[in-house]
Amino acid sequence: MTRISPILSVSTARASAPGLFLAVLVAGICLRVPEFASARSFLAVLSDAAPLALLAAGLTFVILIGAIDLSVQSVASLSSVIAALLVPRFGPIGFLAAIAGGLAAGLFSGLTYVTLRVPSFIATLASSGVVTGVALYISNAATVTIDERSRVYFDWINGSILGVPGYIIVTAAILAICAIVQNYTPFGRYSLAIGSGEAAAWAAGVRVGRQKVYALVVSGLLAAIVGVILAGRQLSGSPTLANELLLPSIAAVLVGGTAITGGVGGIGRTLIGALIVSVLRIGMTFLGINIFAQQIVFGAFLILAVGLTIDPEKLPFVK
Amino acid sequence: MTRARLQAVGLSKTFGVTHALKDVSVDIGANEVVGLIGENGAGKSTLMRILAGVQQPTSGELRSDGERLQLLSPLDAATSGIGMVFQEQSLLLNISVAENIVLGHERAFLRNGFIDWRRLHAEARAQLAKVGLTIDPSTRTADLSFSARQMVELAKALALEDRIARDLVILLDEPTSVLESADIEVLFARVRALKQRASFVFVSHRLDEVLAISDRVYVMRDGRVVASMAAADTTVSELHHLMVGRELHAEYYHESSQQPPSSEVVLEADALSAAGHYSDVSFSLRRGEVLGVAGVVGSGREELVRTLFGFLPQTSGTLRINGEHVRFQSPAAAVERGVGYVPRERRLEGLVMYLSIAANLTLANLGSILWYGLISRKREAVLADHWIRTLSVRAAGADALCLSLSGGNQQKVVLAKWLVAGSRILILDHPTRGLDVGAKADVYRLVRELGREGVAVILAADTLEELIGMSHRIIVMRDGGVTARIDAPAGAKPAQIELIGHMV
Repeated sequence: MTRISPILSVSTARASAPGLFLAVLVAGICLRVPEFASARSFLAVLSDAAPLALLAAGLTFVILIGAIDLSVQSVASLSSVIAALLVPRFGPIGFLAAIAGGLAAGLFSGLTYVTLRVPSFIATLASSGVVTGVALYISNAATVTIDERSRVYFDWINGSILGVPGYIIVTAAILAICAIVQNYTPFGRYSLAIGSGEAAAWAAGVRVGRQKVYALVVSGLLAAIVGVILAGRQLSGSPTLANELLLPSIAAVLVGGTAITGGVGGIGRTLIGALIVSVLRIGMTFLGINIFAQQIVFGAFLILAVGLTIDPEKLPFVK
Repeated sequence: MTRARLQAVGLSKTFGVTHALKDVSVDIGANEVVGLIGENGAGKSTLMRILAGVQQPTSGELRSDGERLQLLSPLDAATSGIGMVFQEQSLLLNISVAENIVLGHERAFLRNGFIDWRRLHAEARAQLAKVGLTIDPSTRTADLSFSARQMVELAKALALEDRIARDLVILLDEPTSVLESADIEVLFARVRALKQRASFVFVSHRLDEVLAISDRVYVMRDGRVVASMAAADTTVSELHHLMVGRELHAEYYHESSQQPPSSEVVLEADALSAAGHYSDVSFSLRRGEVLGVAGVVGSGREELVRTLFGFLPQTSGTLRINGEHVRFQSPAAAVERGVGYVPRERRLEGLVMYLSIAANLTLANLGSILWYGLISRKREAVLADHWIRTLSVRAAGADALCLSLSGGNQQKVVLAKWLVAGSRILILDHPTRGLDVGAKADVYRLVRELGREGVAVILAADTLEELIGMSHRIIVMRDGGVTARIDAPAGAKPAQIELIGHMV
């Protein structure tokens, strides 16, 4: 039994490292730029982290089963276009249409992945192309602005309760639901099992294909919600609205400590990851780092995070 | 004996909590064929992998001609003149035979930085000739038969002799288990012919073959070398006795608690066939019965067993469970019908190693711990604690990862998973593979208890002894068909030879 304890302590260290890192990061930036420690920048971080955390939460389910979804940014953009086009005309039904678009995109990716056995990164990359095409087509490749009198429909996003913007409250509620789904539903449990031992899950009678489709549908759903929220905040929809969000949201999942190989991780970790990414983004602006250099920092960070979270024992060969 | 060409001194190897090798010392003399025998899990394969540089010992050392030898990779071993013919074939199926033979040594065939294919193929042809193969070296490896591939594997190992100045050591890990007798003759003739230039270590289950080809024999049991003797001074029955380490006595398999099964048929196969694997297989399985399935690799036994759990749906014939027709398209369908499966690859198909014991126990029946659609951690913990106590699983707790358990305790968790799922039919596919003697005894006891409770079992066993000891009835398969049905009631067990006659 003596050999077991060091392994456990290593994995405990792995699990708590992102939280510690976040604390150190915040403390470090505050020391250099004291203004960072203010309610305003705190809110700025949360505003930035909210859409990221939602996209990343959807991705977490997909990454946990050992797959990847490269279409979340396109789905979010499409959903913003649908919301911007339909809400002014049909009212709240437009939101449902935007959500339905996300579900359909997720279902399409999921079925392609599972029934045609196309690797998920190809299946979702391809559906990302399709989804972007649809968004460009229905928007005539232009930004769709939401007119003045329809803005009332977006009050739940832009209004605030006790100074907290509506979209942050909505995000928090959805993340809470995601955490429950992941920790307490059969789908959440099966996802973990598939991610760390697909053959064993299959042999235990888990309907593996179905769970994989569910994961991609959940990811599509959350991406669509992000699209709606972004449309509300910008009061417009655009086929390229969320394009810059793919890399940061994958980074949020992995920096939070969910393994790219699946099976290890969760929504709580992803929330921490999203906060780290946002603190970095806003903090770098505070520190006066060039906006282009920020991309370099991100790329380096992503590689570092994945390198540190991959357990070489579990994955002797990397493809 | 002359100085040892290759020597293992006090080797030990641990994997987590399992002790695969304990203080093993072996000498391989120059120009000597050394036989290595032992039951599954005795440590033969681990020893071979250490000699081949695939794994490193936890303690102890290797010596070559008296000098210390450190092998950190198969390449190190090759440089020291040690080549291995693997039990699971190591050839890459998607490239040509010639490319496989020179794999890792292509540098020798470069001309101006490009591969000189003519020279490479000539070299491959020369190596293939050594094992009596006249195939075109540009043949895609996947297009060869299994036994031809085994010979290519040997040719690949023998290619070492042209690259290394000193005498070779060739490790043969169960090379005959899939070969026809004619091919075995070719292999043995090659081994005898090459003896002036090489030493061999030969691992096999077939004791008569080991005696026929070896000069000396080492017997391993539970990770130790328990005997070493000249082949001329021993017999098959003596080796068998040493290998198993006890008198063959009925109580090892709890024969006295083998009760006659009820007459109620729970599973019935009628003219069951899976195209290309087996055909026209009929049998019935009764409540509380253990039905053994015997057969060598390629007899269709493995595939039949996998059909019964939905991995490989039958292409014709009928399968009935409790009288109802079923055709399992997936394991999930089988689980729904109350069938459970204990796989040979415990770490791959038996358990999700990185999940807790509790999560593995409930994986096949999460429904039993749901509370308004959500998993009740409390119910799960109670359930897990119950089964950990009932089956005396040795673990730090229900939250411990299955990874941290020994093989025997892992197997208990696999069995408990199906008990939680309420399975009434269990498919045991080599359930004692890789377990030590004590853990095997636990499994046998559990199977008997399940039988008393009316669970019906289909058993594909690691050894004939186990199969005969545990089964009520045995069906024997050869070339995809049933060749015999043999009763094995308590107190009147058939002899192994009765089965072997129908197997080969």
